[in-house]
Amino acid sequence: MSLMFTCDDKATLVAYLYDDLDAADQRRVDEHLRQCAACAAEVGALAGVRTQLTQWAPPNAELGFTIVRTGGAPAAAVLRPPQGWHTVPVWAQAVAAIFVLAVSAAVANVQVKSGADGLVVTTGWMTPAATTAVDAPAAAADDRWKPALLALEQQLREEIRLNRETGAVRAASGPEVDTATVARVRELLAASETKQNRELAFRVTQLARDMDMQRRADLLRVEQAIGHTSVEMARQQQRLNYVIRASTTPQQ
Amino acid sequence: MVATDEELVARSMAGDADSFNQLVLRWERPIYALAYRVIGRDEDARDVAQETFLRAFRALPGFKGQAKFSSWLYRIALNLCRDWIRRKKRTPLVDMPEDVDFIEMAADQGPVESIEDLVARNEMSRMVAEGMKLLPDEQRTAIVLKEYHGLTFQEIADLQGCPLSTVKTRLYQGLSVLRKHLESQGMTSFAGGRAS
Repeated sequence: MSLMFTCDDKATLVAYLYDDLDAADQRRVDEHLRQCAACAAEVGALAGVRTQLTQWAPPNAELGFTIVRTGGAPAAAVLRPPQGWHTVPVWAQAVAAIFVLAVSAAVANVQVKSGADGLVVTTGWMTPAATTAVDAPAAAADDRWKPALLALEQQLREEIRLNRETGAVRAASGPEVDTATVARVRELLAASETKQNRELAFRVTQLARDMDMQRRADLLRVEQAIGHTSVEMARQQQRLNYVIRASTTPQQ
Repeated sequence: MVATDEELVARSMAGDADSFNQLVLRWERPIYALAYRVIGRDEDARDVAQETFLRAFRALPGFKGQAKFSSWLYRIALNLCRDWIRRKKRTPLVDMPEDVDFIEMAADQGPVESIEDLVARNEMSRMVAEGMKLLPDEQRTAIVLKEYHGLTFQEIADLQGCPLSTVKTRLYQGLSVLRKHLESQGMTSFAGGRAS
């Protein structure tokens, strides 16, 4: 640095501001500032700006980047933490899905009716044309066909019963039937049924355990969210109180 | 004992991805903060930070260690920020997202600050952010690197590829613009001395 510090030496001024001068140069600048009010004011103002810059912070973002090797050695991916919809608990997603279905059903006016013809599903808001006109002949037709249908049902039941009895007799006495094969088939069926029951029990147990774990995790998240909300509400209340105080304080 | 950057770099170069992940963990927040302050958008800053580490990992075999690992990372991140600004062809915006909670930040520091002070500080932060977006990219980057990352003038000069004196000029001009902006907003910036 030159022996004398001059007002237009902004590079030295910046170095002074950031404590980047050696002791001798710093003394020279200090000496100048004692004599030059303009430079002293400028240094003070710029130092004030630096102080105010400390107030600016980035968001407290969740990052958690991780390098994951994929395939060959050079290939890699940086995975980011899940965001958005992935952070919504499963139960909340299920509720949302049910809500969407319910709204869709309401919009489409889905109606499910159970009657003699089985389940009838209808959609839409249009009233069926000439319903009353058709209802009377339909009722008359029902009266006409009911006895015939009942008779047909009875006949079918009788035939099925006879068929079972004759089949059983044939299985017991027919010379062409291989009893050992039948026994083997029954044994295999029983084994298969047992295996299926065991698998079902296993899956039910696993599902129950998974659901319980998910429920606990969701409860924990909900508790955390409630805690966070309570804190936030308290802060909002504090801010509101401040605004009220500020607005009611008489201007001086 | 905590491994140094150089040790982790050496292990990473030998094929230890976990060591590189330790470096990521160590530097992800500074890199994200740098990107956020330079380009001013949270989501894009995350993308830049992610891409920085991905590029660093891929370029690791070519890292000869002439510069510090952090300087190397800063260079990659700043290049990506520059690309982003060029690609978007717009002045970087400095949003003040809702989740920048100065109340929370202050709560972490203790209950000594009043709510009035917190509100004032939040307002000041918003004004600083607005002032920063008025600056040309080079001035803003120089201020960010100096103020928030504590780089030396020489390191900034190396990163920006300009002489040392240019860095000081950029800092002086940037701080002066910020001073005028803050004063126009009614914020007195006089601190009575050096802030260091």
